[in-house]
Amino acid sequence: METQKLPEDFGQEVFETLKYIIDPEVGINIVDLGLVYEVSLSEEGELTVDLTLTTPGCPMSGTIKTATEQILLKRFPSLNVKINLVWSPPWSTDMITEEGMRQLEGKV
Amino acid sequence: MSAATTSNSPGKWVVLPHYAFAALAFVALSVLLLFSTDAFSGHYFHPKLLTLTHVAALGWATMLIFGALYQLLPVVLECKLYSEKLATAAFGFLGIGTILLGWSFWHFELGWVLHVAACSLVISFTLFNINVVQTARKAPKWTIESDFIVTSAIWLLVTGLVGLLMAVNFTMPFLPVEHTHYLKLHAHIGMAGWFLLLIIGVGSKLIPMFLLAHHEDTKKLNWSYNLINAGLILFILDHLLFHTSLLPVYAVLVIAGVALFLLYLRDAAKTRQRQDLDLDLGMKQTFVSLALLLLPLVLVLVVSSKLELPQLLLSSVYLVYGISVFFGFISALILGQTFKTLPFIVWMHAYEGYVGRFKTPLPKDLYSHTILRWQNISYLLGFILLVAGVLLRSEQLILGGAIGFTITSLLYTANVFHLLLHKVHDLKPFTYGNAKAA
Repeated sequence: METQKLPEDFGQEVFETLKYIIDPEVGINIVDLGLVYEVSLSEEGELTVDLTLTTPGCPMSGTIKTATEQILLKRFPSLNVKINLVWSPPWSTDMITEEGMRQLEGKV
Repeated sequence: MSAATTSNSPGKWVVLPHYAFAALAFVALSVLLLFSTDAFSGHYFHPKLLTLTHVAALGWATMLIFGALYQLLPVVLECKLYSEKLATAAFGFLGIGTILLGWSFWHFELGWVLHVAACSLVISFTLFNINVVQTARKAPKWTIESDFIVTSAIWLLVTGLVGLLMAVNFTMPFLPVEHTHYLKLHAHIGMAGWFLLLIIGVGSKLIPMFLLAHHEDTKKLNWSYNLINAGLILFILDHLLFHTSLLPVYAVLVIAGVALFLLYLRDAAKTRQRQDLDLDLGMKQTFVSLALLLLPLVLVLVVSSKLELPQLLLSSVYLVYGISVFFGFISALILGQTFKTLPFIVWMHAYEGYVGRFKTPLPKDLYSHTILRWQNISYLLGFILLVAGVLLRSEQLILGGAIGFTITSLLYTANVFHLLLHKVHDLKPFTYGNAKAA
């Protein structure tokens, strides 16, 4: 399946939508926490998101995966949405964005 | 990129009843303490002290650890719990066993009720062992945390079996040496083998996780495991067979093992991205418990060294040693970690179907932080008063400590039941641009 580069605005919209999903333990959205590794759109209209979690075995894996799928389906109803939960490369705190670090102050 | 699995969490009816029972057991423990202020002036083999110790160790600590572990085992071992039915059965036997054992010791009726209680507990521990071992066997990789957890479960079963033998020995004496000889064995296998190993095994995974710290080098944990088990096994062999004066050496091995665990946590904390982040109340209380761990570590050296202390002082030191484990380290840890685990579990079961479609509260929004703050304050005051009262042989101070613990237990239970009875209401759907969530 051919994947295409996301139009800039569309990519921005996907990331802005995913910011609605908050990691319940840390209290920061999954984008600024650095959990969203890759977003791509195929020519057939399949939106694929590669997602990780702060630790393997995290009990939130099912919840966050389903939430990501649901929110994208609501926002982009004409697309097929596929979520891949991935562990490689392993998540580390280096992946938290500056905005995430700012939000993290006083929350951990 | 490698694909990952979905959630391994067990059902809420497997986990949550443990929290409810443990909270009520903590209230019962504190109320019993109110009526036991006269029990701290003599030997530790006292009906009221036996009741307090077993309600604390079984109804409060082990019950909560069982429940939390069914939730955390899949996180630590990265696979599903082997059997939810076994977990429910173990809960039933542990609950019945604890109530009957507490009743037997309080009234010091050591007949068939005590035997049924001990059998019920051994059955519970056996079922728990099957569940833990079978879950660990399914784990994708065997880690040092798996070693700690599986070994601790085995030590729990050994503790229960020694307890059962002692229970039978009360009415049908067959053990060759006096009762307190085996009581020391029973207590130390339980404290170091079950509680300490289990807490290190789970804590070494969860505490760095809660701190958002990643630390891969587990050499210190490996040595911690080896030293604690070596100390415990040597102590058991010596206590049963050789009766040497090497007990302080075995104590030092265990202390060194704990020190390595604490150093591991320090190394992990150093890898935190930001060092200036505030800790929440649950984590602060967790670090209070780790600080309180120093007290029993010092006291184990004192009680194992056979120092020439006045008999009254030595009796008090023995009592403070036990108090510092059950009312100190373990209780403090539970009081903190409950609010790192339970809100999350309740939230997950209540909101997982709504996340991504509706604005949901966060786990930290589901309980009262004010109550938690006062719970932690009253706990620390209660603990200090209780220890001071026992050391100074003051019933008034002990009563003050018991009142502190009763207030703590009521605040804790109020927050826990507020969480357990949480209901979802009035969620607002997300809106983005012109689109609306259904």
